[in-house]
Amino acid sequence: MKTDLFWRFRAVQIALILSGLAIIVQIIHIQNSPEAQAILDEGERYTGSWQTIYPARGEIYDRNGRLLAGNRTVYEAGVDLTSVKNVSEIATAAQLYLGLDYATVYNQITNPESPDVVYVVLDKYAAPEDVLVFQEFQKTISGNSAKNLSAVYFQPHMVRSYPERTLGSNVIGLITIDGGKRSFGVEEKYDSLLSGTAERRWIPSNPHDAREMPAIPSSTALILTIDREVQSAIENILDNSIQVYGARSGVIIVADPQTGEILGMASTPRIDPNQYWNYNDMVLGGIPYNRGVSQAYEPGSVLKILTMAAALDKGVVHPGTIYPDLTGEIIVGGFAIRNWDNAAWGNQDMTGCLQHSLNVCLAWVAAVQLGQDDFYAYMQQFGLGHLTGVDLAGEDPGRLKLPDDDDWYEVDLGTNAYGQGVSVTPLQMIVAASAIANNGQMPRPHVLKATVQNGRQDELPIEIIGTPISANTAQTLTQMLATSLENESSLALVPGYRLAGKTGTASIPTDDGYTLARTNVSFIGWGPVDDPQFIVYIWLEQPTASIWGSETAAPVFKQVVERLIVLMGIPPDQIRLSLSGQ
Amino acid sequence: MFQSERWRHFDFWLLGAVFLALVFGVAMIRSAIGCNLSLAALVQRQMIFAGLGFLVIMLVALIDYRFWGGAIVPMYAVIVGFLLILYLTAGQRFGAARWIETGLVSIQPTELAKIVVILSLAYFFGKNMNAPRTWGWLVKSLLIAGAIAFLIFIQPNLSNVIVILVIWAVMAWVSGLPLKQLAIIAVVGLALAVIAFFFFMQEYQQDRVLTFLFPDPEARHGATYNVDQALIAIGSGGLSGKGYGLGTQTQLCFMKVRHTDFIFSVIGEEFGFIGAVLNILLLGFIIYRCLRAARLARDSFGSMIAFGVAILIFFQGAVNIAVNMRLMPVTGLPLPFISYGGSGLLSMMLGVGLVESVILRHKPLDF
Repeated sequence: MKTDLFWRFRAVQIALILSGLAIIVQIIHIQNSPEAQAILDEGERYTGSWQTIYPARGEIYDRNGRLLAGNRTVYEAGVDLTSVKNVSEIATAAQLYLGLDYATVYNQITNPESPDVVYVVLDKYAAPEDVLVFQEFQKTISGNSAKNLSAVYFQPHMVRSYPERTLGSNVIGLITIDGGKRSFGVEEKYDSLLSGTAERRWIPSNPHDAREMPAIPSSTALILTIDREVQSAIENILDNSIQVYGARSGVIIVADPQTGEILGMASTPRIDPNQYWNYNDMVLGGIPYNRGVSQAYEPGSVLKILTMAAALDKGVVHPGTIYPDLTGEIIVGGFAIRNWDNAAWGNQDMTGCLQHSLNVCLAWVAAVQLGQDDFYAYMQQFGLGHLTGVDLAGEDPGRLKLPDDDDWYEVDLGTNAYGQGVSVTPLQMIVAASAIANNGQMPRPHVLKATVQNGRQDELPIEIIGTPISANTAQTLTQMLATSLENESSLALVPGYRLAGKTGTASIPTDDGYTLARTNVSFIGWGPVDDPQFIVYIWLEQPTASIWGSETAAPVFKQVVERLIVLMGIPPDQIRLSLSGQ
Repeated sequence: MFQSERWRHFDFWLLGAVFLALVFGVAMIRSAIGCNLSLAALVQRQMIFAGLGFLVIMLVALIDYRFWGGAIVPMYAVIVGFLLILYLTAGQRFGAARWIETGLVSIQPTELAKIVVILSLAYFFGKNMNAPRTWGWLVKSLLIAGAIAFLIFIQPNLSNVIVILVIWAVMAWVSGLPLKQLAIIAVVGLALAVIAFFFFMQEYQQDRVLTFLFPDPEARHGATYNVDQALIAIGSGGLSGKGYGLGTQTQLCFMKVRHTDFIFSVIGEEFGFIGAVLNILLLGFIIYRCLRAARLARDSFGSMIAFGVAILIFFQGAVNIAVNMRLMPVTGLPLPFISYGGSGLLSMMLGVGLVESVILRHKPLDF
């Protein structure tokens, strides 16, 4: 190299060294400037993600531990659009093995919602067996097609499943898995327990930074008071009765009058909560999901037992009090009230009034003997017009008009006495009648028997929500009701068991007023009377085979009791009493 | 040619440094493709190319570099032919025709062309070392570089055009380019660059330059995405890095073209400041050994060859690193000896072979 050019060489050398130094300075700058922290923070975003981890939703069991609602694994099938080489191959495989529509899948992949979309969900709820078949197929092929199909990803997740399908669905409620909306029944009422506590956790995406999956508190499983066998039995009886008597709908509730536990609660119609989407039709059609708690109606004569209970408890009548029914008519508030057959029944004691279901007699008891203040005070203590506080979503309080209300008229006192002009839910009647069956004490009705979390089972205590009448009154009335059933040779009777009960036939208010053309038939009954194990409520809406409760609801009650004594293992009274007497 | 006494002058330091850089490069490529199994074969390919490269170094070192002086014209003609074929049979890949598919491997004649330009310019400047520095001298040298640069420009491959022009400029400078001429070509060059930007550049090239000059802070996944990822990688590497194979930016595939253009960021993330500086020092040492050869060469031709190779390694390395650190717009220049890429690697090692050939035959100072 020529020496006179050497300085140029040196200059280049120095330039190179300076450049190298500049680069090092820049590295230091990147790592240490004020922006460095921002860069690091930004980098932090890529090292993982905050994820909300939900515990598996708590299971729901019946009182004997049979699963009513659980979870099952399904797969989200999605396509990584950046890896797709051959759309029709994927669409064909999706149609063959995942049961998806070829054209839909093809369109989803070729026309994503926006150009930025890199992942498209084909099916959020692919069944595990379908996914398995798809993956088996993936294994059998090779080359480009295999590479192409590996653009399809499957991610497992849990969805709610109801193994008993329609059984008890009115009580259990449902979850719409799309939005995860909890609707109706236990699912809605106990959602927070069932969901558990979701927690946000930092999940590193670096495979080398594997950490133990954070343990989160598990959700709570529920044990219901519902007995699957009882529920199944009463649903069958109800469906059958509706068909036999040509009714539009119906409710059967079975509860334990001493604890308030609901053993079974059947209502029509019932949907399979696995096919939650059908509930839209129901809701849009204005059909209550669970008529037992959500639909109030005028119950008719079954309410007479409350009127009689009030009068007996107040002491204004006693079983031997005679009502002389000379005309078959009584005027209350300027309106004439007549018996169901418009006939006069002569001298009747109080048991006879109940046995023959005499409206005139009960109107007299309420309006003349008891008076409006006491009558309505008792009705409120029985819980009419108030929510029972049952642990099911969507409860209706019914309507008990009070003398202070604008739309109350004096005649209401007379008609309310036999269950017209007042609306109650079937469950409210069960609760009120529980007081009569259970020595005057009304337990809070409930479907939750116990909660299970972390292997710990907590039983819920029994709660008495009111004592509207004395134990004496309750026992007296129970005997009167049992006697009246026996005297009239009711179709509700079950040989060997002493049962108390009352039928009801209520006119349905129409534009033309109350007529007997359309009726609601009901029956409230319990037994065995000396130690009631069950209380049963029957309601059939507009039976066409007969409009009378005694010919429709009463025999349904009998069918229910016949099943209950078997399922609950209740021996005939004689055997039971002789055993306990030993 | 095989006398052992000759091999005393063989620059084992240079060879060793290149070997070290290659080993390091293969290791980094292995880490960089960790998140993408479909690229796993690249590690082995790079090792094969490295092996071939050493053969090339030895072979070229054996051949007296002055032999190439006599073969300049046919060599030049062959490479121009290659570039023409490339242009005419352009297999479009990533929008630019840069490869010739041979069935076995795809060759980038551009990489070879850079070595040919260095040889040709070295020959020209060496031959005219004592000629007056007229405009004719300058324009002739520019034509030698410019013809090939033009053929590369129409591929289009702007980065390598700039590489060639920079090599030409620095070689002309060190050959005694008068300051007046330098000032004039600087002004003309700038004017041409502006004109080229507006009239000849592809849209993506304009975008890259604009993005660099006026970065859009909103462009999360847009044009600055990859450079941002690279900055995060380097920034989060700290002093000693996250450890080999543990860089989250790298291993989780946030950065694109990790094993080629952005491998420096991988080094920065996984080996931190220390790793990055050591890498720069290693490249610096290789460049230093080339410049040493240029200083010791027995004639101007050899001196200019070694000098040109040094500038080639330096410029490509510096631009690559500068891109990684948002000091320059994004280009496709690989990091010499480190980045994945067969043709680029072989050309670099061909250059090193030439330098070895020069130093093998330098004037013995140790009488």
